[in-house]
Amino acid sequence: MPRSGRMNVEAYAAQAAREIHGYKTEPWSLKGAQILNLHYEIDNDTIDDLLPVTMRPSIPAWGVFNVTRYPESPVGPFTIGEVRIGSRAGVRPRGFVLRSYVDSDAAVRELAQRWGYPTVRGEIYLRAFHDRVVARVADGSGRNVLDMEMIDREPISGADVQYNSSMHLARNQEDGKLVLVQVDPEWVFHKAERGRPHIISLDSQAWAAGNMLRADYPISATFCTCDVTLGRIRYICDPTKDAFQGTTKVAA
Amino acid sequence: MKFGIFYEISVPRPWSRETEKRVFDNCLEQVALADELGFDSVWCVEHHFLEEYSHCSAPEIFLTACAMKTKKMRIGHGIVICVPEFNHPIKIAERTATMDIISGGRLEVGTGRSATWNELGGFRANPDETKKTWDEFVRCLPKMWTQERFGYQGRSWSMPVRAIIPKPYQKPHPPLWVAVTSPGTEIDAAERGIGALGITFGSFKEQEQKVKVYHNLIKNCEPVGSFVNEQVSTVNFLFTHEDTEIGNKVGRRLLGTFNFLAAQLSAARELYPTRSYPSLGLLPALRDQAAGPGDEAGVPEGIAIGNPDRVLHACKMWESVGVDRINFLLNALETVPQEQVLNSLRVFAKYVMPHFQDSSTQAAAAGGGR
Repeated sequence: MPRSGRMNVEAYAAQAAREIHGYKTEPWSLKGAQILNLHYEIDNDTIDDLLPVTMRPSIPAWGVFNVTRYPESPVGPFTIGEVRIGSRAGVRPRGFVLRSYVDSDAAVRELAQRWGYPTVRGEIYLRAFHDRVVARVADGSGRNVLDMEMIDREPISGADVQYNSSMHLARNQEDGKLVLVQVDPEWVFHKAERGRPHIISLDSQAWAAGNMLRADYPISATFCTCDVTLGRIRYICDPTKDAFQGTTKVAA
Repeated sequence: MKFGIFYEISVPRPWSRETEKRVFDNCLEQVALADELGFDSVWCVEHHFLEEYSHCSAPEIFLTACAMKTKKMRIGHGIVICVPEFNHPIKIAERTATMDIISGGRLEVGTGRSATWNELGGFRANPDETKKTWDEFVRCLPKMWTQERFGYQGRSWSMPVRAIIPKPYQKPHPPLWVAVTSPGTEIDAAERGIGALGITFGSFKEQEQKVKVYHNLIKNCEPVGSFVNEQVSTVNFLFTHEDTEIGNKVGRRLLGTFNFLAAQLSAARELYPTRSYPSLGLLPALRDQAAGPGDEAGVPEGIAIGNPDRVLHACKMWESVGVDRINFLLNALETVPQEQVLNSLRVFAKYVMPHFQDSSTQAAAAGGGR
């Protein structure tokens, strides 16, 4: 039968999940975001252990290595660095967020409480040069946990770029239960480029992945400028059940 | 209207040598029965690395076995991937000519370019290039089949003059098709005078429009082959049973299983931003078709699932929008037991086929099969 996730969600939650305060946040409109997104094939043998049973690994196994700078937000400018596992919830493509490093205390708090992002304080560097776009993510102690770049920038159409919705494991403040929260951002593209992806270094443990996360094979890289809307939460899932059985609609 | 059967060859885990063999044996048994029942053709994909979804990486070998097991059916190579990292064009010309000889002139050659990162990445093919290499290949193939000696200086490949042998049994050569999944490929098909294979659109109305465009454009085509193959074929699912409840229930299971399996694969567009892949390809198209709004039985419109009356209605609808043939997918992950698949073929031949005037199947259908 088809593969599905087999993550020990309690063990993962103990190190990465944050508390979400209900599912009633208002949307955030985030203008002029700069998004560096790398796709890499990752270790196929361990991907099932990096996903809750609700989700299924994509075939082949791939990850999204993302750094986004939001110059404007309700809590001021912030930059976020994430690793997501390419996966499916039911038949829908999703990215399961392992951890979100954020360089603003206010954004660390708000992203977790409103959308359940597994945030932690970090320092994020993102800079575009003519020959490449460079990003580095460091943890709270300043230690590099991800160092990556997109080489040979080439303009493309934003219509050729596909981002997927993400899912985060969070603990519901009300009942203390673990829940998978789906976030469906909307993107309006102003500028898009692609190039060759290159991950220079990656610290698997720093992404709450034990020794299981390994970037094996480069696929693609994009660097885009978009207006992003982080919308209301529409769906949550029980992380111990299949998505077909365990999905609950929380907003229209 | 003609009816064919269509294989992905889906093998469930756990994979043992017996599992793989059983699935291939089942497919061949279905092919032999379909030939007796009067189905017009058997088509088989070329896919690589698509775990469980399709273990059909050597379609030329499976189709050769089909040719040996059958007497009348057309043998559809649907499709061979026209990307040099997958198949050298000389090898395609040689292999297909040999298959045509062995099948006694029953080969149909579908062409395409792959739409998954699983495959393009696996062969290290550049997704930006596949449309271009496909175009170059389809212009060369007929010449390689028909000219005594052939030489070529091209963009993606070249060769000095050589005799490419053997030549096909069909003269001048087998009919050419292209898999139509990306928007606009039906125009490519029409402009080159080749058949449009497996068009899957969202609605009958949309389908009707695309078929109309195809038939209009092909009148002024510049044929890549020695003749124009003006045909439109579509892909569908098939499960039918005299008992409505069984027909719907088992059929829905087939749809759901296929849908679930296909979703796990990675479309090229999802991972590699390129203008070359403006849509997610055949898999999501079939998936949407399978998951579309259903009737009271929960079966999407136009899907050949249910009792024979419902299946007949679905086929008549496709006929009414100008589709010339339907190729049916019969199973996924062996979720339908082999006896039920065989029975479904018999029921279709007995109750549905006779309602189609142009079907080559009427005589055989009247016999009801073995």
